[in-house]
Amino acid sequence: MILGIETSCDETAAALVTEEGEIRASVVASQAELHARYGGVVPEVASRRHLELVTPVIRETLGVAGATLDDVDRIAVTQGPGLIGALLVGLAAAKALAWSRRLPLVPVDHLDGHVASLYLQPEPLEPPFLCLLASGGHTMLLDVRSHTERELLGTTLDDAAGEAFDKGARLLGLGYPGGREIDRLAQDGDPAAYAFPVARVPGLDFSFSGLKTALLYAVRDLGEEELAERRADLAASYQHAIVRALVERTQEAARQAGRDRIAIVGGVAANSELRASLPAAIAAPLSLCTDNAAMIASAARWTEPVAYPRYLALDAYASR
Amino acid sequence: MLTLAFDTATATATSALVDDGEVLGERVSRAQSLLEDVDALLRQAGAHPSELDRLAVGIGPGSFTGVRIGLAVARGLALSLDVPGAGVSTLAALAAGAPGALAVIDAKRREVFAIVDGEPRALAPAELQLAPGTVCIGDGAIRYRDLFEERGAVVPAADDERHLPRARFHAALAGEAGPVDEIEPLYLRVPDADA
Ligand SMILES: [Zn+2]
Repeated sequence: MILGIETSCDETAAALVTEEGEIRASVVASQAELHARYGGVVPEVASRRHLELVTPVIRETLGVAGATLDDVDRIAVTQGPGLIGALLVGLAAAKALAWSRRLPLVPVDHLDGHVASLYLQPEPLEPPFLCLLASGGHTMLLDVRSHTERELLGTTLDDAAGEAFDKGARLLGLGYPGGREIDRLAQDGDPAAYAFPVARVPGLDFSFSGLKTALLYAVRDLGEEELAERRADLAASYQHAIVRALVERTQEAARQAGRDRIAIVGGVAANSELRASLPAAIAAPLSLCTDNAAMIASAARWTEPVAYPRYLALDAYASR
Repeated sequence: MLTLAFDTATATATSALVDDGEVLGERVSRAQSLLEDVDALLRQAGAHPSELDRLAVGIGPGSFTGVRIGLAVARGLALSLDVPGAGVSTLAALAAGAPGALAVIDAKRREVFAIVDGEPRALAPAELQLAPGTVCIGDGAIRYRDLFEERGAVVPAADDERHLPRARFHAALAGEAGPVDEIEPLYLRVPDADA
């Protein structure tokens, strides 16, 4: 079995996954509440919490699976990209576990992890497919050719889609994380009430910063009372603009890459309008859309393990 | 009793393997590659990780990331090997290697970590009370040498080994070993919300 460990952002996670991609246990300790009062993830706060949680979460994972470390054949850990201080906590613990048992270590790229969430049981997806990865940290269009080959077709030039949701939620006076709040409020609003522009950038890239500015002006133009009345319309229109940009580019990317199947992963895949707008798209279960360690263990099935003792000097990376 | 000691709180990390007070090996480390040094220490001693009886780990103060790397390694080892451990203050270990001296760790942001009235604290270097002739050691002492020397303190040459934490002293200072998950880092500062 593969023990996966993920600490790249604000979820401390561990999972046990079999070679066949069956999840025996997946434990995610979310820090969302901890960061809610800051309206976003504070790296130092996140890193401190990761240290407190990393071994309890691994212990719980073993407990849920009724397994011990003796059942583990290799350790998979997120090496990057992410918050460097947060990544180093998971990597240090993973190295110590692997070293003390002479197990191979598999350093996993977080983005490969998100794609590999689609390869887990009970309904694993087989490449090739076009994948939209949209989360608080990333907005990417990937042509996934095989389990080991992917090409980046487009990415965001500024904010990630999830970040755009978070910033929009803050402007609207909603809670954190923002995606869920906007999604909920948008159910009662008119998506056509405001025509928020989505920047037209060439190719298959995204840009969400202008959209955020447009929302800022719209909010500023309204009085406090008016804002309360129009909040749902603003949320619905704002969400609609983000989703429209994602859907248009995703469909265009699929056309260009000649892929008839589209998959969506990442926290934004939980958005109900996005799911409704891409009805044929394959999405991982919600628990696997947000950051988790089952996806990291899953990716390790196609990533070359590093043998003892070569991994001992391994470092994390914040970005590629 | 075989003790593995290490401290990654400062720029120059340290690790040592100590058997009942006898130092089998000691290495200068870098936090990210601490386990490379630990691996070499055990191989030199012909020991297997499962033979470790106890961990002694530096808890800071120092670099937050460095402190966490050491503690995360300790927690991983404890989980895997079911071995107990004790936390040791990095300031106390430094001081143990230089009897009579005042340990001063660079805390960045124009502050240092030092023990003041028996308590570890973060403070401006100018706030430190220094009796004339006080020997100051540690990377904070080197960084603020001019300021401390002006006030009558003595700072040994930069290559003096007393400036560096040495894990043999962590092993010597380690108190009763308990669950490693309960060893708390010594940050001495609240997290910066916009760091
Ligand atoms: Zn992610």
